[in-house]
Amino acid sequence: MTTTLLRLSGVGYLYRGGEGVRDVTLDVRAGEVHALVGLNGAGKSTLMKLVLGMLRAQHGTVEVLGADVPAAGPDVWASVGALVEHPLTYGELDGTTNLELAARLHGLARRDVPGAVRDVLEELDLDRYARVAVRRLSAGNTQRVGLAAALVHGPRLLVLDEPTNALDPAGIITLREALLRRAGDGAGVLVSSHHLDEVARIADRISVIAEGRMVGTLDPGGVDIERAFFATVHEAATA
Amino acid sequence: MTGFRTALEVEARKARASWTMRVTGLLVALGIPAIVGAIIAAARGGGTPEARAQLLAKLGPDVVAADWHALVLASTQVTAAASVLAFGVAAAWLVGREFVDGTVPALFGLPVGRAAIASAKLVVHLCWALLVSVVLVVVLAVVGLVLGLGPLDADTTAGLARIVVLAALTALVSLAAAVVATLARSVLAGVAVAVVTIVTAQIWVFAGGGVWLPLASPALWAMHPGSVPAGALGLVVLFGAACAAVTVQAWRRLQLVR
Repeated sequence: MTTTLLRLSGVGYLYRGGEGVRDVTLDVRAGEVHALVGLNGAGKSTLMKLVLGMLRAQHGTVEVLGADVPAAGPDVWASVGALVEHPLTYGELDGTTNLELAARLHGLARRDVPGAVRDVLEELDLDRYARVAVRRLSAGNTQRVGLAAALVHGPRLLVLDEPTNALDPAGIITLREALLRRAGDGAGVLVSSHHLDEVARIADRISVIAEGRMVGTLDPGGVDIERAFFATVHEAATA
Repeated sequence: MTGFRTALEVEARKARASWTMRVTGLLVALGIPAIVGAIIAAARGGGTPEARAQLLAKLGPDVVAADWHALVLASTQVTAAASVLAFGVAAAWLVGREFVDGTVPALFGLPVGRAAIASAKLVVHLCWALLVSVVLVVVLAVVGLVLGLGPLDADTTAGLARIVVLAALTALVSLAAAVVATLARSVLAGVAVAVVTIVTAQIWVFAGGGVWLPLASPALWAMHPGSVPAGALGLVVLFGAACAAVTVQAWRRLQLVR
């Protein structure tokens, strides 16, 4: 039986001015990477904010691990890892301390923290920066620490908004492997990206969002995914 | 409240690493004794008759006496103003930094609730303020001993203890800065509240506005304990509790609408 870890049903949220998302239905199943692609301002970040409770849906329902987001308790959120807009990192603290605090805030017991931090530092190739204050790191390495903060507690559901931002090619490969490994272990991943080639490499499903609506899907194994993306967006805009 | 102990552990660790908290704490704990020590030293140093006359005019005969009573009086006056600003800056920074640094989105979707995080920030602030004020009076006592004011007597000890209470009450008043920093999502807005608090309290006292304004009553009590009823100090505690409640509720209901 396939387990649905995230389900959005008829979700709507409009900002003052009329932008936002309308009637979005989407799910993420255990063991899959579901990518969300769209142009700037299409509504990707708004959707992710709705998933994490940063915004309350005006229409429809958002369920995380079977719980309505407004009612979701600590047990639910302990199984979620996210990086949306800003990582859970503080510039004055070094990488290790940031990850220790992230692990605690994600509900890990104190005795489990050192091992989890050690593992994620190694997984994201951050060992050499473990004792460097985050404010002294490059943007790419800061992003890696932020991703590590989202992964440190071994979440069942990952919500990542543009996770490859600022990463160098090596960082992108490291992240790709980390996400595929976790999906292989049964986690579900919702990821937004502008990098269509990268999305095609990791996603099991790709959904296209334009002007706040889900307007189609792309085949991750398709030949010319960029052409297919623009065709889908154009078709939605002219419909 | 979900995850309060964890939030307290995390916020305490963040505060320990904070230069804002360190520098502000040091300015109170060492800066105030430096100012008061300089005043007492100047008063004891003699100098020209003109200089002494100016000092007398500015500070009054009690301070120019340059004894323990003078040290406690000057310290109380300086602490009453300086601690409002220092503790207000710290309160504004503790809550406002998450908005200014852009880290507040990362505090959603956690098993530790935002109300717990906000409460932990306020508890850390009050504990830090209490620690700073205790260090302050210890340093003041050392300054008095170094200046040769003689052994501490009971009145002086009571006066120094009142400074700790004054600072603690001021820390409660300074939570108004946390409210505004949260609602405005800005550290500077909170700092502005601290400045306005000082000005309001000063004008209130100069205008003879009475002892019931929570912004002014801690200082009036510390300088003239008999003139301020317990109810007025209770109002300060209520004011701080109300500010804390508003801050925590605002964090609980926080939405990141752009």
